[in-house]
Amino acid sequence: MLNFNKIGLGILFIVFLLVGCSSAQDGEKVPVSGEASGESYPNKAIKVIVSYSAGGSSDIGARTLMTYVEKELGVPVVVENKPGAGGWVGWEQLLGEEPDGYTIALINTPNLMTGYMDPAINRSQNLESFDLIANHITDPGVIAVNKDDDRFNSVEDVIEYAKSNPTTTTSTGVVGDDHIASLKLNNKFNTQFNAVHNGGAGESITAVLGGHVDVLFANVGDVTTLYNDKEIKVLAVMDDKRSELLPDVPTLAEEGYEGVVSWSSRGYAAPKGVDAEKLEVLRNAFEKAIKNVEQAKIMNETGLTVNYLNHAEYLEALKMEEEGIKEIKDLLNW
Amino acid sequence: METFQFLINGFGEALTWTNLFYCFVGVSFGMFIGVLPGLGPTAGTAILLPLTFSLEPISAIIMLSGIYYGSMYGGTITSVLINTPGEAASLVTCFDGHPLAKQGRAGVALGVSAIGSFIGGCVAILGLVLLGPTLSKFALNFGPPEFFALVFMGMSLLIGLMGKSLIKGLIAALFGLMIAFIGIDQSTGIMRFTFGQTNLASGIDFICVAMGLYGLSELFISAEERMSKKAEKPAKIDSLFPRKGEWRPTLNSIGRGSVLGFLIGLIPGTNSVIPTVLSYSLEKKVAKDPSRFGKGALEGVAGPETANNAYSGGALIPLFTLGIPSSPTIAVLLGALIMHGLTPGPTLFQKEPDFVWAIIASLFIGNAILLILNLPLANVWAKITMVPFKVLFPVIIMIIIVGTYSLNNSLYDVGIMFIFGIIGYLLKKVDIPLAPIILAFVLGKILESTLIQSLTIFNGNILGFFTRPISGTILTISIIAIIITALPAFKRRNLVNEDVEM
Repeated sequence: MLNFNKIGLGILFIVFLLVGCSSAQDGEKVPVSGEASGESYPNKAIKVIVSYSAGGSSDIGARTLMTYVEKELGVPVVVENKPGAGGWVGWEQLLGEEPDGYTIALINTPNLMTGYMDPAINRSQNLESFDLIANHITDPGVIAVNKDDDRFNSVEDVIEYAKSNPTTTTSTGVVGDDHIASLKLNNKFNTQFNAVHNGGAGESITAVLGGHVDVLFANVGDVTTLYNDKEIKVLAVMDDKRSELLPDVPTLAEEGYEGVVSWSSRGYAAPKGVDAEKLEVLRNAFEKAIKNVEQAKIMNETGLTVNYLNHAEYLEALKMEEEGIKEIKDLLNW
Repeated sequence: METFQFLINGFGEALTWTNLFYCFVGVSFGMFIGVLPGLGPTAGTAILLPLTFSLEPISAIIMLSGIYYGSMYGGTITSVLINTPGEAASLVTCFDGHPLAKQGRAGVALGVSAIGSFIGGCVAILGLVLLGPTLSKFALNFGPPEFFALVFMGMSLLIGLMGKSLIKGLIAALFGLMIAFIGIDQSTGIMRFTFGQTNLASGIDFICVAMGLYGLSELFISAEERMSKKAEKPAKIDSLFPRKGEWRPTLNSIGRGSVLGFLIGLIPGTNSVIPTVLSYSLEKKVAKDPSRFGKGALEGVAGPETANNAYSGGALIPLFTLGIPSSPTIAVLLGALIMHGLTPGPTLFQKEPDFVWAIIASLFIGNAILLILNLPLANVWAKITMVPFKVLFPVIIMIIIVGTYSLNNSLYDVGIMFIFGIIGYLLKKVDIPLAPIILAFVLGKILESTLIQSLTIFNGNILGFFTRPISGTILTISIIAIIITALPAFKRRNLVNEDVEM
């Protein structure tokens, strides 16, 4: 009997140990150094909600940045993963929290806006619900094809071909950035791109490498390795300027197709209503962490381009993105 | 032969004391994580990823691969002992593993799994060494239509798992498909059956369904039985090894499982359920007496467990050679490689041979450590079945709740898990088999998305499937198989299928 109890206790112990490891998020208090709470901010751990699974690109990017933010703030900054609903499980939770400066979240585009712009979902939240902190990463969209595809050697070939033939493109989700970009092209240049929706960039790449889908719509971060190894032909970057990671790839505008840009960006925000002073502390800490050279180098190695925007510039960029989605409302049946 | 030279150098690198230590730590830690339902390989590797940042790249990846392997095996332990699959890959192990445990043969089930996993892992590593780069190119021929065909075949094999009545089996399978529909539709972005709940938007998680339907309902049933009856005397624990006559068929299934798992691992985008389901069905097809399946057939544990491990080895080929992660756990490993400054891709073998071969060698060592750890431990684990129910019941319930919660840090998931526990209990009462529900649930999502993807590619022409050699062949075989199995049933109006009893 004693034995069995021991086994049971052993199991319980392991359970608590592991759960402790996985979600040691909320309670970690940092001793307040002699001052009453409220006078010094921050005086306890700050929680960052990441609306994507642990181990994904967003999560790894956030966890890396947080080690630098921690140094600036002097308190633990802990990531809590709340995946689901294209990010909105986490964001709804964020907006339900007290705006006390101790809960912030990673927000990313275009999921953030499509989540409240889609009339079928009818969310009451919008950009006004957030206090923005800073933009961290901007990952421009690219158009690429299989290296053995003789039909396409330039983005002009692709667009001219797609004007008279239905052409399949990869997309990592309905009204994701890839899908929106292909619709913008359809809208502007009368192309017939048909998006094949899948579960993620890995699947997109497989589909194009295997020749199952004609054109790869992805982000710079997804294709740098393949580009360096010459496994695919990257034909254009959908940004105002060339990417440092793909120096010899022209922009769409350079190739004569102006007016279509696409990227996904990741930044940080708090729920509306955080004290101005606290926001100032957070914004300064994030600015220093994002501008940290070592941090930027790690991001670059994973194929991501750090693009610091302060909260005002960030708001501007997000509003511009909203406008871009409004342009294609008809094509989305919204 | 040059590759063998590299492999030997790799062993030299991996067998340093430090690396051996990290491998050991990874495997043991992984096993404990795997034993907790809910914390599967993906969560395990992801959570421990930050711990490896301070290590040398080789040590870090060795430790992470150890966690991966270890937690896969840990999932098997809970499947066998408490009928609760910790992750999708060990679901099939429940079918025969748990009946074996009830007969007091948990040790054998675990022993055979450990041996099978070891052999499967080794075969996959050999395959990786010999054929890796060549095969990975071929695997790219699998696009959405071929996936659809493969999953369709998996679904058609479900008929074999329908239980005593075809009608009840179909009800179960349709129920499984129905829950697969919940959430945002991948191809249109429309919310289906979510009733405005954001928490339902990304669908119901496999873990919630599996823990509820299997783990919790099993507890309810046992609670009912054992509280009304006098506690039955726990069966005596048998040895770790199969009985005399069982060796041959078991080893044969291990052989088949190794090849099958490896081949499926090569195909990017498959998940680990597919090789286990295919292997289980294959074993049942070739067995002399298929009626033993579901009642504790050793082959039903050996085949899928081997396939599962061979699959994880095979899955490293697309990762190393193409930089394509074929499962969520592999995606975490990919993240780890990148974090440590290594970019997987066709040139990884040329640019970083020391690194790649050290990892491959360490996989082999990890498998060996797993075997050495588990053969003696299997009996210790198996003793859990002898723990009195009143002690075990609260512990298992706690593990299930904590495991489900830790999945997404969400109490909502725990609630859903409880609902499925009650559904599972009711279904068991009316003899509706649970296996088709959960398999249809897992495969249904892939079936739907690959169908829509294929139809987009074919411009809506459904005959397109038959214009491609691989998908055409697989689909034709499946359709013929369905007709052959189902025809007599419709003639007799009810199919008595001596079968998996849950």
